[in-house]
Amino acid sequence: MAAPTSVAISSAPAEATCRPLLWLCPLILFLVIFFAGPLLLNLMESLRLDKGAPTFAEYTHIFGDPYYLRVIAQTLIFGIVVTAICIVLGYPLAIAVARLDGTGKALLIFAVVVPLLINVVVRSFGWMVILSRAGAFNWLMRALGLPTVDVMYTWTGVTIALVHVLLPFMVLAIASTLETLDPRLEEAARVLGASRARVFRHVTLPLSFEGLITGSILCFTLTIGSFVTVMLLGKTSTMIMPLLIYQQLTVSSNWPFAAAMGMTLLVIVTAVLWLQLQLRRPRWRR
Amino acid sequence: MSRLGLGLSLYVGVLTIFLLAPVAVVIASAFTGAEFVTFPPHGVSLKWFAKVLGDPQFVVPLWNSLRLGVLATLLSAVLAIPAAIAMVRYRLPGADLIQAFLLSPLSLPTIILAVGLLFFVARIGIGSSLLALVVGHAVITVPYVLRTVLGVYAGINREIEEAAMVLGANPLRAFWLVTLPLIRPGILAGAIFSFLLSFDEVPVALLLSNTDTTTLPVSILSYLVYNYDPAVAAISTIQIAIVIAVLLVLERVFGVKHLLFTSR
Repeated sequence: MAAPTSVAISSAPAEATCRPLLWLCPLILFLVIFFAGPLLLNLMESLRLDKGAPTFAEYTHIFGDPYYLRVIAQTLIFGIVVTAICIVLGYPLAIAVARLDGTGKALLIFAVVVPLLINVVVRSFGWMVILSRAGAFNWLMRALGLPTVDVMYTWTGVTIALVHVLLPFMVLAIASTLETLDPRLEEAARVLGASRARVFRHVTLPLSFEGLITGSILCFTLTIGSFVTVMLLGKTSTMIMPLLIYQQLTVSSNWPFAAAMGMTLLVIVTAVLWLQLQLRRPRWRR
Repeated sequence: MSRLGLGLSLYVGVLTIFLLAPVAVVIASAFTGAEFVTFPPHGVSLKWFAKVLGDPQFVVPLWNSLRLGVLATLLSAVLAIPAAIAMVRYRLPGADLIQAFLLSPLSLPTIILAVGLLFFVARIGIGSSLLALVVGHAVITVPYVLRTVLGVYAGINREIEEAAMVLGANPLRAFWLVTLPLIRPGILAGAIFSFLLSFDEVPVALLLSNTDTTTLPVSILSYLVYNYDPAVAAISTIQIAIVIAVLLVLERVFGVKHLLFTSR
């Protein structure tokens, strides 16, 4: 959300330069010291600057080792898969949020928002209760006379739990743009003879493009940065970058390596956010 | 539901079950009378609540989390409110760039910030103190307070402030009697968001807390790594109750519908 900042009242010239700086400075300073500072320290640590000349040893270590390359690839694929599932599951739900009004809308938004606010540790625990061998899901399968499944400590289990974590973000992002969409546009297309599929493809989807992009970028960056869910529901074969960073930091106490892995993750996230800026100007909205 | 059609209504029903199921099973498991987490739960009992509420292993982190959430929110509010007002009131050179920087912690995976902060506190020697946690959480929560206050303040009619000053109120009086009441919903919503974020945050708390300052989510996480019993369900249920209570307050002061437009 870009808040309009162009609203300004006429003020004396001297006041106009001094006071805003005085009011902005504490926050800017705070973030320079405690946000930019730690990131800079992270970079220095990854280059081992405190031990003399910078060395790229940690980076060549990461990019020369098939295991670490696999972890990076797994992280990216995991992010793409979770995002794709969230789009497919979330879009119809967002349409429902946008179409409903009154109590129905409030209840549905509540159902979407409540999981978002419940701690990710608690939700992962909930999925452990559901997905474990003697869990709720298998109890239901047995009651229905169906074969039981065992997805704990697999990619499937981790993916289900993480889709649950990120689906609300996707739904809210898409619904935000669908809310602003004039329903008469879809009606006009229908009246003019377009099929439901054609209306969706040529009217609804392009007009909700921005929400779709925002939701997808958010989902992807949060997935590749998540680690609680994977820590609880995964095992060593479902290793992703944040978990590797944590492990290197606490188990191996290898700070420069953890820092270099962190910088790699930071570069990936920054690249994706840059991509979002490029996609913000969709051709068909001109 | 008639506006949705049968297919979409059914779909919404199934997805709602998917969204609420993990929360529902946790609450159900908390009331079990059994010694293990089983499904369906055996018997009904409050013994696990009694156990966790009498166990400092959970009660101390619960208080730590509440205290940390309040302190981080106060710090965020003190930093963000004047900044938001300045950004709306004055046309600053490079305002877009400044705003992008001030909101940038939103986009960063917190694990990276957590690692950087760990190096930082180790270097300046404040170690894993409460101060380090408050500062770390404020970095995460301050953009949310900034954004909600910016949104509300940019939307109000600024002529009322000018009228107050024309009628003889000094800037401070005009701020206290006119501006502040007008932006109060934004401040409250931002503060509640901020508290919930801090109350839920794991990576920074995991890396920067020690046994005295550990937070509730971190203590549940560490407990879960070695144990799998209904005590976790009970303490989780208490946390869910706190979050839902805060959410109801948020609905009262701001309206849950507005979440649509404040979530990126």
